[in-house]
Amino acid sequence: MTLQVASAIGTGQDVRTSEGQPGWLVVAEQECRDLWASGRGLILLFLFSVLVSAVAYLTSTNLALNFLEQRESVNLVLQFAVAVGVLATLVVSADGISGERERGTLETLLVTPVSRRSIIIGKLIAALTLWFATFLISIPYLWVLGRDVGILGPALALGFSVGTLLAVGLGSIGLLISAASNSNKTSVGASIFLLLILFAPTQLPSGLPQGWFFEALLRANPVASGLAYISSLLVEGHSWTQDLSYLITPLLTAIIAGGALVLAGPQLVRLTRGVTAG
Amino acid sequence: MRKLFLIGVLAGLLTWLTAPAGAAAPLSVQVVAEPASVETVLGGRFMITTVVTNTGAAPTGEILAHLNVAGIEGTVYVDPEDWSPSRSQQLSLEPGESQKLTWELQAVNAGHFAAYVVVVPFGSEVAGHEELLISPLVNITVANRSTLTAQGALPIVISIPLLLGLAAAGVYFGTRRRSSNR
Repeated sequence: MTLQVASAIGTGQDVRTSEGQPGWLVVAEQECRDLWASGRGLILLFLFSVLVSAVAYLTSTNLALNFLEQRESVNLVLQFAVAVGVLATLVVSADGISGERERGTLETLLVTPVSRRSIIIGKLIAALTLWFATFLISIPYLWVLGRDVGILGPALALGFSVGTLLAVGLGSIGLLISAASNSNKTSVGASIFLLLILFAPTQLPSGLPQGWFFEALLRANPVASGLAYISSLLVEGHSWTQDLSYLITPLLTAIIAGGALVLAGPQLVRLTRGVTAG
Repeated sequence: MRKLFLIGVLAGLLTWLTAPAGAAAPLSVQVVAEPASVETVLGGRFMITTVVTNTGAAPTGEILAHLNVAGIEGTVYVDPEDWSPSRSQQLSLEPGESQKLTWELQAVNAGHFAAYVVVVPFGSEVAGHEELLISPLVNITVANRSTLTAQGALPIVISIPLLLGLAAAGVYFGTRRRSSNR
């Protein structure tokens, strides 16, 4: 990434650009340009749309799946969209710092007059744009499946709020892993492994006996509890406040991971030994 | 007279001896189910409530309320486990006490069905010839629903990946062309 900012190179303090923009916004803009103008973001969106298309088509044509009540079809596609959207955000953020190190561009970035905190915030915002884009792409699918049952509005509001919480939390974790990793492979691998661990409980058969341990596991897991909240509203018809406790873990993850990123991130964004430039 | 008395005593003794050991007092329980009828569509979820009341003078001890679903028209195969994964609830009631039990169901077949709750004694002392207490039937009518169709989903399912694929390819090859021209 090459930043175009005013002089005062290497001070480590945030300076404003000639247009008066704060440093984090400059970084976010540049990162977004790298993500979207290079076609990388669009390729991820294309793959995302292929996957969501397959799921949406299956729910609307497969006889066995079509047995599902229409609200369950909306729930299935929404959960899938949130899960894959968050995965894409995590993968992009996991590349944030370790990728710069591997490409040999971190040194250039560190000598720009933008604070390390601004760099890390800008990168998180850029990664979040991918989540917002995947959410926008999933709207037509949800409309097709949910238009006749009057749950499109709640489904979109739920998907956006829960997905944004998860994307902020996991995107921050991805950037923390990336900042602490020397290799991009390690960072992306560790992030995907973390996501698989978090998604594993959501794949357990719903007919399993659900004792206190299962419930504790579900509530301790931000992804599983966030998706459980979506299900409880869309499928079981619970009110917004009835199962609000499911959102505690996603909210805490976003606050703790986001806070740790802002506080400890600047110390982690540094050049490390043994990393080959370019 | 003495002969008759002796016969009576012997008959009483025989009855007492042949009576099953440990037989509990018969249950005096009333089961009321609500609503009386349910109309839903295939895949629809609904709830039935039953109120079990101990109308006797003695505690019921451990009893089991068990939900069942039966097809009452046509030849639809009904597997009650598909309708409700949790079909048994254990309880015990003091004289005059009532307990409300809720049962969550999902209509997995279309047609005409009846759901009912049976109350049976529970535990190792159950001899096996106790009377069953059954709630009134809840009449369930499940209509076929208009399912999602491929025609409705197909335009979206095809057009979005197509547009995004074209946009991604355009940006990717455009970037490559620009960088090779430099």
